[in-house]
Amino acid sequence: MTVSRRVLLATPALLLARRGHAQARFAGLEVKLGAIVPSSGPFAEWGRTNTVALRMVEEQINAAGGVGGARLSIAIYDDAARPAQAANLVRKLADDDKVLAIAGPLTSSACEVAFPVANQARLVACSQASSKPGTAAANRPWAFRNTIDESVLMKAALPWFKANYNADSVVIIYDAKDANSVALGSRIMPDMLKENGIRLLNEGALATFNTGDIDVSAQVTALKALNPAGVVLAADYSQAVTVLREMRRQGFVKPVIGGTPLISSAILRAAPEIPVVSSATYYAGQQGDKVRRFTETLQPRLRATAGLPPTIEPSMYDAHMVEIVGMYTDAVLRAGITLKPEDLAADREKLRAHLATLSGYEGLSGPIHFAETGDAVKNFFVVVGQNGQWGEKLRGCSTHGSLTC
Amino acid sequence: MLLQQLVNGLTLGAVYTLVALGFSLVMGVLGVLNLAVAELFMLGGYVGLSLILADYPVAVAIAGAALVTAVLGVVVEKVAYQPLRNAPPIAPLLSTLGFSVIFQTAATNIWGSDPLLMPPDLLDARYRVGSVSVGQAQLLVMATAVVLVAALALLMRHTRFGYGLRAIAENRDVARLLGVPAPLVTSGAFALSGALAGVAGVQIGLHYSAITPYVGVEVGLKAIAVMVVGGTTNIWGVLLAGPLLGVLEVMTVALGGAAFRDMTVYGLMILTLLVRPQGLLGRAGGAQRV
Amino acid sequence: MISSYASGLLADTGIAFIAALSVHLVLAVGQLSLGNAAFMACGAYVASVLTVEHGVPVHAAIAAGAVVSGLLGVLVGFPALRLRGIYLAMATLGFGEMTRSFFLTLDATGGAAGYSGMQRLSLGAIWAWALPLLVLVLLAERSRLWLAMNAVRDDETAARLVGLDAVALKLGAFGVAAALAGVAGGLFAHWHIFIEPSAFALERSTEMVLAVVLGGSTVALGPLFGAAALVLAPEALRFIADWRLAAFGGLLIAILLVRPQGIIDRRLIQALKP
Repeated sequence: MTVSRRVLLATPALLLARRGHAQARFAGLEVKLGAIVPSSGPFAEWGRTNTVALRMVEEQINAAGGVGGARLSIAIYDDAARPAQAANLVRKLADDDKVLAIAGPLTSSACEVAFPVANQARLVACSQASSKPGTAAANRPWAFRNTIDESVLMKAALPWFKANYNADSVVIIYDAKDANSVALGSRIMPDMLKENGIRLLNEGALATFNTGDIDVSAQVTALKALNPAGVVLAADYSQAVTVLREMRRQGFVKPVIGGTPLISSAILRAAPEIPVVSSATYYAGQQGDKVRRFTETLQPRLRATAGLPPTIEPSMYDAHMVEIVGMYTDAVLRAGITLKPEDLAADREKLRAHLATLSGYEGLSGPIHFAETGDAVKNFFVVVGQNGQWGEKLRGCSTHGSLTC
Repeated sequence: MLLQQLVNGLTLGAVYTLVALGFSLVMGVLGVLNLAVAELFMLGGYVGLSLILADYPVAVAIAGAALVTAVLGVVVEKVAYQPLRNAPPIAPLLSTLGFSVIFQTAATNIWGSDPLLMPPDLLDARYRVGSVSVGQAQLLVMATAVVLVAALALLMRHTRFGYGLRAIAENRDVARLLGVPAPLVTSGAFALSGALAGVAGVQIGLHYSAITPYVGVEVGLKAIAVMVVGGTTNIWGVLLAGPLLGVLEVMTVALGGAAFRDMTVYGLMILTLLVRPQGLLGRAGGAQRV
Repeated sequence: MISSYASGLLADTGIAFIAALSVHLVLAVGQLSLGNAAFMACGAYVASVLTVEHGVPVHAAIAAGAVVSGLLGVLVGFPALRLRGIYLAMATLGFGEMTRSFFLTLDATGGAAGYSGMQRLSLGAIWAWALPLLVLVLLAERSRLWLAMNAVRDDETAARLVGLDAVALKLGAFGVAAALAGVAGGLFAHWHIFIEPSAFALERSTEMVLAVVLGGSTVALGPLFGAAALVLAPEALRFIADWRLAAFGGLLIAILLVRPQGIIDRRLIQALKP
């Protein structure tokens, strides 16, 4: 048993091996964390891979001697992507399970309802996926999100999109039932297009569809008739697949740009000839020692899990989950937390203060800080999906004020 | 572009017609809204696409899907309908809803919640007529809708099975007195309804080339609207109402935005229920209103 | 002192119970509605706008939301008089979907992004609505009015022949039911302090019907039991993990088969009495 062997295991283990292992000051104690993931319902895939990722981290950290000697245990609950269940799970984790902090919930709808409860319970909740503008900011100081505001990402992606594809005119289509897509499609993008000197050809009549629609032929026919140089597609990947397939069917092969919810291997398979530009904080196939190790450890586990497709890849939200647990265990070691049951409220507050002024924490692709909005300041990548894989085109940081990567 | 949108609308209408047939058969004959039909449609799509992905020919995929969903249709009948035949109509409505939830979960657990994608080059040939372009899969969906409606209409009119169904629709007890094997014919109706939904599922999977476990709900609700507008006493009704609603929906989207789409579609359904409850082609007084 | 988790579930039960009462009322005159989430949405949005933007005290706002919902209910009830059974169910389903679309496009209340800014009510405040409403409905069930409503349900023609005003009874039931759903919506909005159109989708309407049919539609204790079962079952079934929702579906079918009249009926209450 050498330290170097453990270092190879994965990221959080690496962190702990460096900082925590030598000082087994928490021997005999337990670090209890909570996680809320949607393992049933329409986002089941995300919730289930999240669960596998969490169990992996838990196992790795404990195999490497725990968190400063304390055993890590993560209570994982399924909210079925239902806000009311997520809210009650925050209560359960806070009062019954007495966890130090919560990772999740995943969907913005669940966050909107669960974050206020976390605030009331004075317990940190950090979402792995929600990127609806302002959801964490409205529920400070206990709400955090290990995600970047879509408008920050788009600021970097859009100029590249314009320059690379000569996209001087575009059309917008978005999912009118999904709050995140509505914000991106109807509010963020029209202004940003103007700033970048890109003409919006369907201004005043933006094309929309609804979550669950299988037929978007009418919208695509109308967009195609405007003959734009590019398409802004604000939707979840599972909905975006429908649009991309319809574009392909109608021979409307134009470059597409959208937000982080597009990052999925399903997008790559939907229309390989249509380039899809998006931003990601992690994508399968990403290079870098740490991140490659993460992908290589998690992917076989995911593929060996019943109930997950055999071709599945780790998602961005799995990466975020692992980072969240990493930040929490890092806080245990560095924030003066005692792990004593009688200090629980104080420990939770110390963890919150530690996150709010987080520094020196290395995520999978660089340092992570949190802005006063509760959203992450971290590295991101502008990527293009084409011919079956993601290619990295640009690197950026969601710099906020004086906070940068 | 308007012509192209018309083609889009007619295709969508054919999709609705196909699913509405499954609903209409059981509703028209037994007065039961079998909500599980929507999920049988979804399962049919999955079974069909899985067979196609395993390199079986499309015809085998359609037959396989129809077989699976027909059997499941009978399971729904035996468990969720038969024991509740004499309960108020709300009981079988909710028990078939129970099956919907089970089928959805099963699909999520078997195939995952991510969209299952078809190979992109299957049935993707396109034909141009003037300014309008029509895809192979689109033609297949429209042709299937017409053929199935016609076949079902013939079946109802000219076979012993159809005669039995119509007799049961009028009065189950009298039908039995006339020698109609009511339990067998009822099971047949559920099986046929399941098979129709299954065939619809494969067709739609082929056309849209992607399917998710949640596709049944939205399409199912629209199909119910089509069934109501077309009327349940005349099989041809759905062939008229499907394209009508499809074109209405597509035109609303093309002209006014998707936001008003549900308002127009369900608005038309409610209007039909109020003004012409027997549906466009229905026979007045023919349908049971209780 | 109960844990906050238990109090969360109790609050959800109270809200679901009031919502279920609304279906209970329309069922009492033989009508089936699959669109009552629309009235809940109406109550939720009206009450929230009143408390957030006009500073109206929360209980007054909830009451106002209920009145608006009730009026909408009567308005919808008029055309609904023409329909019965499964056809009424389909029409109300369409109405529910239309209402959800309406709030989705209504920018004044945030559209798809939802609406927030409300203050959270206490668990006690929710049951301060739920308990009196339960008592009220239980008392109503012993009145001649309820007998008349059931007469309309059992045989409308006969009810008319003995001089009952079936139209007024049905309209009244629809209106009061809509108001009850409005109360549930107002409480929902001020318990979760965030509302969005998808919170009032078809699923919510079917949940209300399920609570009544599972719990028992002959006496108001049925919806109470059904609402509790609907809130607690998903929690109790957690150990089944991936098949949790399917288990719920199976349980639903099983209960319908074993007790088609619902779990709670008058006979059971009699039998349980010492």
